[in-house]
Amino acid sequence: MQAGMTTRSLLALCLGAALGTGHAATEITLARFFGACEADYGKVTDVSKATGECGTITSLVNQYNATNKEGVVVKAEVAEWGPYYDQLTSRIVAHNVPTIAVMHQSVLGDFVSRKLVEPLDDGFKSVGINTADFTPHAKRGVVIGGKTYALPFDTWSWLWHINVNYFKKAGLTTPDGQPILPKSPDELLAQAKKIKDATGKPYFSWTTANETAAPTRTFLTLMYQQNAQVFGADGRKISVHTPAATNALTLMNKLWTEGYIKKGLDYGATQQAFTSGDVAVDVVGNWTINDFLVAAAKADSPLHDGYDVVPFANLYGKKAIFADGHSWVLIKGGTHNDAEKKAALSFLKFLWDHDYDWSRTGHLPANNKVVQSAQYQGLPYRKNILEITQIGVTTPSNVPRQRAIEAIIGEEISSMMLSGKAIPAVEDAIESRVNTLLASVH
Amino acid sequence: MCICLMKPGLPGMPHKGAAMTTTLSALPAAARASSQPKVKGVQHWSNALFVLPFVLVYIALLVVPVVTGLWLSLNDVDVLSGDRAFIGLANFARLWHDDIFRGAIRNTFLFVLMTTPAFVALGLALALALNRQDRVGTALRTIFFGSSVLSVTIVTLVWRLVFMTDKGLLANVMHSLGLASINPLTSSALALPAIALVTVWWIIGLPMMLFLAALQQIPEEIYEAAAMDNAGRWRTFWSITLPQLRKTVALVAIIEVILQFQLFGQAQLMTNGGPNNSSRPLVQFIYEAGFQQWALGYSAAAAQVLFGLMLIGVALQMWISKRGQTQSGEST
Repeated sequence: MQAGMTTRSLLALCLGAALGTGHAATEITLARFFGACEADYGKVTDVSKATGECGTITSLVNQYNATNKEGVVVKAEVAEWGPYYDQLTSRIVAHNVPTIAVMHQSVLGDFVSRKLVEPLDDGFKSVGINTADFTPHAKRGVVIGGKTYALPFDTWSWLWHINVNYFKKAGLTTPDGQPILPKSPDELLAQAKKIKDATGKPYFSWTTANETAAPTRTFLTLMYQQNAQVFGADGRKISVHTPAATNALTLMNKLWTEGYIKKGLDYGATQQAFTSGDVAVDVVGNWTINDFLVAAAKADSPLHDGYDVVPFANLYGKKAIFADGHSWVLIKGGTHNDAEKKAALSFLKFLWDHDYDWSRTGHLPANNKVVQSAQYQGLPYRKNILEITQIGVTTPSNVPRQRAIEAIIGEEISSMMLSGKAIPAVEDAIESRVNTLLASVH
Repeated sequence: MCICLMKPGLPGMPHKGAAMTTTLSALPAAARASSQPKVKGVQHWSNALFVLPFVLVYIALLVVPVVTGLWLSLNDVDVLSGDRAFIGLANFARLWHDDIFRGAIRNTFLFVLMTTPAFVALGLALALALNRQDRVGTALRTIFFGSSVLSVTIVTLVWRLVFMTDKGLLANVMHSLGLASINPLTSSALALPAIALVTVWWIIGLPMMLFLAALQQIPEEIYEAAAMDNAGRWRTFWSITLPQLRKTVALVAIIEVILQFQLFGQAQLMTNGGPNNSSRPLVQFIYEAGFQQWALGYSAAAAQVLFGLMLIGVALQMWISKRGQTQSGEST
C-alpha cells in the first residue's frame, strides 16, 4: 500500500512538473566554430549588445534558450575553425553526430554527395522559412540538384580593409577623402611604392605563416577577375598552366619580393599589424569589419577617422571576387526523434529571423529582405560591399574536396613566396597534386 | 627450482647454462621425474586466466587495429561514406611517387636525428648538474621537468610568440644586437630545427629524470675507490659514470626515437608543415590524407610505412646498444 502510494505520488509529481513547465526540455547540440567567448558573453541574452562573430552567435544561442516557448535548450559545441571539419568528420564516423552543424557552402557538396545531410525544403515550409528570400549567392551555395540542404546564414568574401590615413599621406585619396583604388597590377605596384615611400610601411598584410587560406583566396580572386576557368566543366580537373594563373602568381610574387607584403604574419599577427598601423591594407574577410570599427573608434588608434573597407580591388577586366558563405545543416543521425527535429527547425527559424544581427559582424546577409532593409544599409560601409552578392564567385559545387584543394593551392603559393619556388614549378605542383586528389575521388 | 626453466646456451649466459646442466645431471632420476610436471606447469592451464585480461585487451587495442590498418592500406576507402574497394598495393605505389610523402619521410628522419642525440646529451648533462641533494637542485629539477606537463597547445603558443616577426622575443634580441630579425618558422631551412628546439625544451624533463634515477643507482663505493686512486673528474665520468649509464642511454635513445618518429602537434600548430613542405612530418601526412582528403586507405598505407620505419629504427638502436654491451663485456 505504501509502495503503491509512493509510485502514484511520483507519477503525480512528474505529471505536475511536466504540466507546470508546459513541455519537457528538448536538448539539441550545435556544432560550430566562430570562437569561444563564454567569459564575455556567457550570460548575455540580448544579441543587440553583442559585437563580433563569437559574441553574436553566443548571444543568439543564449537569447533563444531564454526566450523560446517550446522548451528547447541549444547546447553549443565549439571547435577551433582550423580542425573543425576534421573533428566533424570524426564525429560522423564515430556516430556522435551533432543535431545542427555550421558548414561552409563550399564544403556542403562533399557531404550531400555522400547523402550525409538532410534535405530541408519540407522542414523550412513547416516553420515558415521562405527559400525565395535567399540571396542569389546564398541560393547557389545551399541548393544542390534542386533540393535545399542548408540554411544559408551569410555570404562572406575577400576584402581590402584600408587605413585611409596612410593613403592620404601618400596622396592616394580623392578630394572628398575616399581612397583611390588601383585598377591594374601596374597601378597596384605603383601605389604600393608610393605608400612605402610616404609612410615607410608595406602596402599589404595578409596571412602567410601557418595558414593557406589567404594566398588561395587572393589567387582565386585574381583568376576570376581575368575571367579564367580554374576547374573543368565536370569539376574533376584543375588547369593553372594558363596565362591568367601566371599573371596572378607573378603579381603576388612581385608584391612579396619587393617588400609590399609584410612578412612572417600568422592570422592573429596579420590583424594586429593592421590595427597597430604597421600596414596600409589588410586583406581578410568580412568578419573583421566590426572589430576594426571598434578599434577605429579609439582616439589613439592609427585607424582613427581613417578606416574604410571595400571588395578586393578590381585589377583586371572583370568585376569578380572569391566568395563563400556559412550555412547550417542537419546531418543525418543528428536528430533522434521528431521532437529534436522540430526543435532544430525552430532554432534555424530563429537564426533566420536574426540574420540582420549576424550581418552586424560584417558578413553579408543571406536574406534578401535584410539586404534591402534600410536598417542593414544604414550600417557603416555596407553599401561598399553590397555588390559582392552580385559579383561573388564560388567554386562550383561539383568540385569535390574543395577544402583540401584550397589547402594545396595555398601551400604551393606560400612556397613561392616563402621559399622562392619558381612559378612554373608552383603551377606544376598545383596541377599534379590537385588532379591526383581529384582522380582519387569516385 | 626456478633455474630449471632457463635454457642452456642463453646468449650472454654460457657459464650459468653449463653449471645448470651439471646440477641437473647430479640429481637422482626419480627426483627429476617427480619434479618436472610441477615445474613445467602443463596441467595448470588455468594459470593462463591470470594473463587472459591483458591478452584480450592487447588483442583488442593493438593486434586488431594493426591488422585492420594493414587491411585498410590495401583498399581505397572513403572515410565518410565508408565505400571501399580492394586495390592491392596501389596505395603504396602512389606513395612512392608522392613528393610530399617523400618530403615527410625526409623531415621525420631529420627530426629524429636532430632531437634524439640532443635528448641524450642534454638530458645527461642536466642530470649530472642537478644530481645534488639541496634546495637549488630540487628547484631546478622541478623547473626543468615543469615544461613537460604543459600541453602541446600551450608550448607552441608560447614559442610562436617568441618567434613572432618583429615583436617576438627572438626579434627583440636580434634587434638589440643590431641584426635583422627573422621568423624561423617561415624559413625552409630553419622551420624544422626550430620545431626540434621547441620539442627538446618541452620534454627534456623525462630523459633528465631517467638519467637522474640511473645516476642514483651507481654505488657510492665505486666513486670512493676512484677517489682513492686519484682519478680526476673526467676520468671518473668516462670510466665509471658513463659505463654504468649505458643501459639508460640506450633506454632514453629508444624511447626518444619512438616518440620523435611520431612528431605531429608541434609541426601542425607552428608551421602546418611548411614552408615548402620543409617541416611536414609523416604523422601529419597521415592525418591530412585521412581527415582532410578523406582517403583512409592511402592514409593507412602511409601509417604502415611509418610503422615499418619505426620498427627498423628501434631494432637498429637495440642492435647497436646490444653490440656495445657485448663488446664491453668481452673487453672486461
